[in-house]
Amino acid sequence: MAKKYSMIINLAKCIGCQACTVACKFQNKVPEGQFRTKTPANGLKGTYPNVSQYFIKEACQMCQKAPCVSVCPTKASYYNEDGVVLIDVDKCVGCKYCMTACPYDARFLNKETGAADKCTFCYELKVSKGEKPACVSTCVGGALMFGDLNDPLSEASQFLAKHKGEVRKPELGTHPNVNYIYEGVVK
Amino acid sequence: MDVIWGVSVDEVAWGGAIAFYLFLAGIAGGAFLTASMTDLFSKKQYPKVIQSGAYIAIVSIIVGLGLLVVDLGRPFSFWKLLLHVNMGSVMSIGVFIVSGFTGLSVVYGVLVWLNAAAQKQIRITSANTEVAATSVGQGLQAFRKPVAGLGILFSIGTATYTGFLLSAVTTNNFWHTPFMGIEGIPFLPILFLVSAISTGLAATLIGALNCGDLTTYKKIDMVLIILEIVLIFILYLSVKPVFFSGSMAVLFWLGVVILGLMSPLLLSIYSLAKHKNVILPVCGMVVIGGFCLRYFVVYTGQLFK
Repeated sequence: MAKKYSMIINLAKCIGCQACTVACKFQNKVPEGQFRTKTPANGLKGTYPNVSQYFIKEACQMCQKAPCVSVCPTKASYYNEDGVVLIDVDKCVGCKYCMTACPYDARFLNKETGAADKCTFCYELKVSKGEKPACVSTCVGGALMFGDLNDPLSEASQFLAKHKGEVRKPELGTHPNVNYIYEGVVK
Repeated sequence: MDVIWGVSVDEVAWGGAIAFYLFLAGIAGGAFLTASMTDLFSKKQYPKVIQSGAYIAIVSIIVGLGLLVVDLGRPFSFWKLLLHVNMGSVMSIGVFIVSGFTGLSVVYGVLVWLNAAAQKQIRITSANTEVAATSVGQGLQAFRKPVAGLGILFSIGTATYTGFLLSAVTTNNFWHTPFMGIEGIPFLPILFLVSAISTGLAATLIGALNCGDLTTYKKIDMVLIILEIVLIFILYLSVKPVFFSGSMAVLFWLGVVILGLMSPLLLSIYSLAKHKNVILPVCGMVVIGGFCLRYFVVYTGQLFK
């Protein structure tokens, strides 16, 4: 059965250490100054001393109805057999149409290849070998989870059954496969 | 860039090169339309207008395509756009529309040039050598009008395509704006088509300055300018005010509205009343305004999401 890989980001557990950011750069050899994932501070609220803020991991949201895939003129952006959005670097001409279409600013033009680049869930290097993406396995606070939502017994499915996952910009109808848990966070 | 605090620069995926390309593709489409419509339907003879339009179309579309290729992340792989097709992608369909248009405009330009050269020859030579002109070049002229006719379809396709390219980005609130709130009819293709014909006609007239009475063309351009003012007004009411703010406010009000639409309109009305020849300033402003419009649309759609 086809997989439905999903990442779950439990914001209350994220301490903003950027271990995910660094692990991704090493794993995927992302050029200097460019990022497939980063975790900026967000939502600074309140007045001193009652202030709050949280960190939010940003990367490709792995949309099931991905605008980048539908606009790509060469089919370089595609869904693989497990529903993961990937880029065939050989087919990409670097027209940047996908970058104008992505509402999450998840894509960039790789300085070294000239092709569009983004998070792959570490599909080739890790997930296809039964491992977890580099950011998930390195996460210090245990804020990141990864698994197959089509398997009701997976850790990800079990967790989402008990907690409310939210996707970014649901109004755009992109149906992302990255779920955010806002429990314990002042939104 | 600061990863934690997210200090990001205002980077846009599509910049000035793309704006200029959209503008040039519009000019090319409009100039071709001006030349071919004159060639096919005008009772009066306007050989200079036909030549000007046909040549401007070729130069604009080729320079525009050059900019497009240079702006790619991998310029040398542009041919892959012809090899891998995605019929669901407006850009992929556009590649074939624009390629067809480029081919037709080159063929048409050559035929117009051969025709002009032959006419000149007839005028120079005496009556008994006129036969020489009706050689191979004249035989090809049978194709000129069919090429013009087919080219009309492709030039309208090219001009509207530049709008569809942007309006197809459903996640962009500005580019995806529907016409009068009717979902399914995008706004930009209509606006860009009118602007393309207006700027293409203006550019053609600049190239055919001092070639007799161009009053008909001036009147058509005035109608187009008024139509564009109405469209811009509708656009202004259809989208959030933020798109006309900041640095984009200057470009929109000064470049698009005042320089590109209001001034040429008022100057045209004045010239028609006083019978003054002001083609160069009027058409010049229309062309610059057309560029401001493309630049404004490309940037404001990406800067404010």
